[in-house]
Amino acid sequence: MKSYNDRSRKNISIFLSIFAFLWFLPFLYVVINSVKSRKEYNLGEFWDLPKSFSIVENFVYVNDRIDFMMGFLNSLFYGAIATTLAILFASLAAYAISSLKIKGKMFWFMLIYSGTIFPFQMYIIPIFRMYSNVDLYDTKIGLLVVYTALCIPFCLFVLRNYFYSIPKELVESAKMDGASDFKIYLSIFMRMAKAPIAACFLFQFTWVWNDLLFGLTLSKSAEARPIMSSLSLLNGAAGTNDVPSALLAAIIASIPTLFIFLILNKSFNYGFPTTSK
Amino acid sequence: MEIAKSKLSMKSKLGKIIPYLYLAPSVILVGIFCIYSDVFSLIVSFAEWDGLNEMKFIGFQNYMNMFQDPNFLLSSLNTLIWVVGTLLIPVAIALLFAIAITHVKTQSFFKTVFYLPNALSQTIAGIILTTILSTYGLPHLLGVMGFDSLANDWLTVPYLNTLIMVVSSGWQGIGLNLILFIVGLNQIPKEPIEAARIEGAQGIKLYRKVVLPLLKPIMLIVLLMSLVNSFKSFDTIWVMTNGGPYRTSETLAVTMYKEAFVNNQLGYGSAIAMFLSVTVLIISWLLLRDTFKGEE
Repeated sequence: MKSYNDRSRKNISIFLSIFAFLWFLPFLYVVINSVKSRKEYNLGEFWDLPKSFSIVENFVYVNDRIDFMMGFLNSLFYGAIATTLAILFASLAAYAISSLKIKGKMFWFMLIYSGTIFPFQMYIIPIFRMYSNVDLYDTKIGLLVVYTALCIPFCLFVLRNYFYSIPKELVESAKMDGASDFKIYLSIFMRMAKAPIAACFLFQFTWVWNDLLFGLTLSKSAEARPIMSSLSLLNGAAGTNDVPSALLAAIIASIPTLFIFLILNKSFNYGFPTTSK
Repeated sequence: MEIAKSKLSMKSKLGKIIPYLYLAPSVILVGIFCIYSDVFSLIVSFAEWDGLNEMKFIGFQNYMNMFQDPNFLLSSLNTLIWVVGTLLIPVAIALLFAIAITHVKTQSFFKTVFYLPNALSQTIAGIILTTILSTYGLPHLLGVMGFDSLANDWLTVPYLNTLIMVVSSGWQGIGLNLILFIVGLNQIPKEPIEAARIEGAQGIKLYRKVVLPLLKPIMLIVLLMSLVNSFKSFDTIWVMTNGGPYRTSETLAVTMYKEAFVNNQLGYGSAIAMFLSVTVLIISWLLLRDTFKGEE
């Protein structure tokens, strides 16, 4: 019986290893070819190991071609600031809904959470029109506000759930000591919610960083364009024939999300909140 | 005395309003960007509008035109292929891999490898796979190996390219589902499985009769997420084929974008967005209705 189990376990391992190798191959391809020069890539075979080391030239080319660095910095800005603002606003709302005296708690929650019900395709035409009318089209502040608004519902959902789990006695005793509502929000709720806040930040940062739809719709110049929209210029008819530079750009643009992946990798086994965005 | 009293009532009134101020930033932002947008899209979907001239209300004309528009019909068909393909690769294969991974000792290694592409965005995965599939890449390798007929640019072949993109997005998107399935499988209590084993259930039968039903809650989450996302497929297509050649690989999300922002048909674009939204809502409702039934 045992030997049977061992053998099938071995077969499963082989099966998985084959697919794991297949899954990893594209990464190998990217790493090998991103350091080649364009000439070397075009004249040689993609499976040849690189002879030259043209990272600097490739970077200069792609930076020139699509303002790569500017897109990178823009997205860092959108990701960090929009997510922080969204967490701030959502935590205030979650606090009000979970602990303050307001009428229609469920109504307010559903009102804000309804932002996740419809596909984002519903939003792009109206926001584009609105932004054209108020001169927010193709501005940093415009994209920042959109990203903030769209991150709020998910953060509210996570934080509200967590806030409900905070013991009422803690709040009561703080009130006895004369703490104001805002003080309680800051020193009890926000202080205790570090883990869910971190989760919100990582997930929503990743979403903002990876977003293509709103970047395409609401920006046109390099000054406001987020990274994914910049990268999308590399492909298709107007794309580049410089494959190594495109691959290098793909690697660099993945650094923040790979970094987040490493952080999250540790908490995989505990399960984590997911978003259907 | 009077003044003090009115001050007090002022203060208590203020005290009643202040809690709502905590809600204000979220409600205002979501109100402006989400709720206003939903209403605006609904209204515009009944109008003919190029964004410059005045809106002209034409009733259900946009919706009727949709079903006579070959681009829309093809795009619906493509979307359907995406949905079915998503059920096959990122859901069914993820489940198969997850079951396999729970049987080996090096769980975390396999988890990491399969999840890794998920750390890339769809846009970036699209760029990488486009270059691999270009005539310098994989087709070229197959050509060298003697399969000359395969050595062309696959992404420019209508219909084939949709299938290739579904597989590509499976490569990128399998990770999250896989992790969720593994979490679910590891959480299943051992007792019912042992009991079934003793009664002689083994292999596929054990999974079909005992394990999978216990996995149902996670399965529903994964299904809902994957289905909804596959209906909205945009990034991969935008980067890999841009909907071409001749608009043959568009999905509804891409068609909607092109009608609105390339052809300046904001009314028609909104109607497609409405169609997409209602479809997604119906799917979500059907799946979630089942969950609630299960809980009763």
